[in-house]
Amino acid sequence: MSQSRMQLPEKFLTVAEMMNIGDQELARRKEFLEFRPEDEERLHKLAPLSESYAEAVIEAFYTHLLKFEEMKVFFPDNATLERVKAKQKQYFIRLTKGNYNLDYVEERLKIGTIHEQIDLPVKSYLGMYCFYLREAWKHIFEAGKKEPDEVMDTFFSLMKLVFLDISLTIDTYIDSRERTIKSLQQEAIRELSTPVLPFREGMLLLPIIGQIDSQRARQLTEHLLESIRINRAKVIVIDITGVATVDSRVANHLVQTVEAARLMGAEVVISGISPEIALTMVTLGIDLGPVHTVGDLQDGIEHAEQLLGYRVKKFAETGKTDKGDRV
Amino acid sequence: MKVPILKQGNFLIASIQGALTDTDLTSLQENLVCSVRDNRSKGVIIDVTVLDVMDSFAARTLRSISIMTRLMGANLVIVGIQPDVAFTMVQLGLKLDGTMTSLDLEDGIAMLKAADQNQERGDYGR
Repeated sequence: MSQSRMQLPEKFLTVAEMMNIGDQELARRKEFLEFRPEDEERLHKLAPLSESYAEAVIEAFYTHLLKFEEMKVFFPDNATLERVKAKQKQYFIRLTKGNYNLDYVEERLKIGTIHEQIDLPVKSYLGMYCFYLREAWKHIFEAGKKEPDEVMDTFFSLMKLVFLDISLTIDTYIDSRERTIKSLQQEAIRELSTPVLPFREGMLLLPIIGQIDSQRARQLTEHLLESIRINRAKVIVIDITGVATVDSRVANHLVQTVEAARLMGAEVVISGISPEIALTMVTLGIDLGPVHTVGDLQDGIEHAEQLLGYRVKKFAETGKTDKGDRV
Repeated sequence: MKVPILKQGNFLIASIQGALTDTDLTSLQENLVCSVRDNRSKGVIIDVTVLDVMDSFAARTLRSISIMTRLMGANLVIVGIQPDVAFTMVQLGLKLDGTMTSLDLEDGIAMLKAADQNQERGDYGR
């Protein structure tokens, strides 16, 4: 059944997998930055030096950082500050440790995600990189005065790697913003889109807008069944004009809803099957079985009125409406 | 728990009062079919309002009662399936195919009367 084909929860995916960053993508990013094996080598040579200056750079950085009021909120107490400093040190040292593979990317993405979650602004993040590069430059320059070319290349290698990190971080910011927006949107659609409207005595109208997933289908069906009982409805028109795609799962949900309504003694008419949807359904071999289906909402309502025994008649232009028009 | 079968004009009403065991269901089936014969009934209503669970055996039994009574010339309507019961049944694939269902006793009686009239007019299709 459809319930067993549930999607894997996202927490089992790595951040990189969620953002579709694989070996190929990483290689392309490196190529774009011209980050080559010789860069890795230079960074490797830089390792002892970077370990020696990491502590000093971090101290300087946090002294600088804490000059800003808005940054202080991120460090409510000394323990937090010390913990973050330790992490930061690890991070800097990792830059010259080689193995810039997918595991490296994953670490970087996780750091980005954490910063995004605590709402650290991008500008502070970039500021930190700028500060680090400047400080690192001083130290590298100091240590290698005799070979200026070598110094420059080493610094460029470091810069390329830092830019790789920056691109990854910014991507996590964008990605998680997009996720937030998408989920808010989904929620809004969910909330807005499952009204059950009494249309005539014994008739309910149920327009569906947006995507139907298992959870929503369940909610919708429960809501509908309750409404059938409360309104003593005999006929329900489900309008799916606002449903973009009908696949076999959606069709299955619809059939279930129809069957459940029938068990409660109500008939269901499904309206709003556009030519495109009809075509897809036939192509996919979806069978709605014994369900009444009609083209648009107007047909749906007319069909439902017929089932209920209503006959709606238009009066002459004079607009006399005082006589009952329903039989 | 025994299910009382009430006679109301041409119709029989079996009103389930509580959870039923498989044995209860089998004896309901037997009693109903006998009552249809004895009373020459034209319609049967089974009221399941109080049931908050419907398992596959119950659904199958109800369906076979419906087929049996129709063979004996009486229509059967199952009334009072609760929303969550209906939903669970559909999810379990218990559809009561070919059985008439109705919201409650009132609608059920109306449905039987309509079916009866159709048949008197010689219109046997539903």
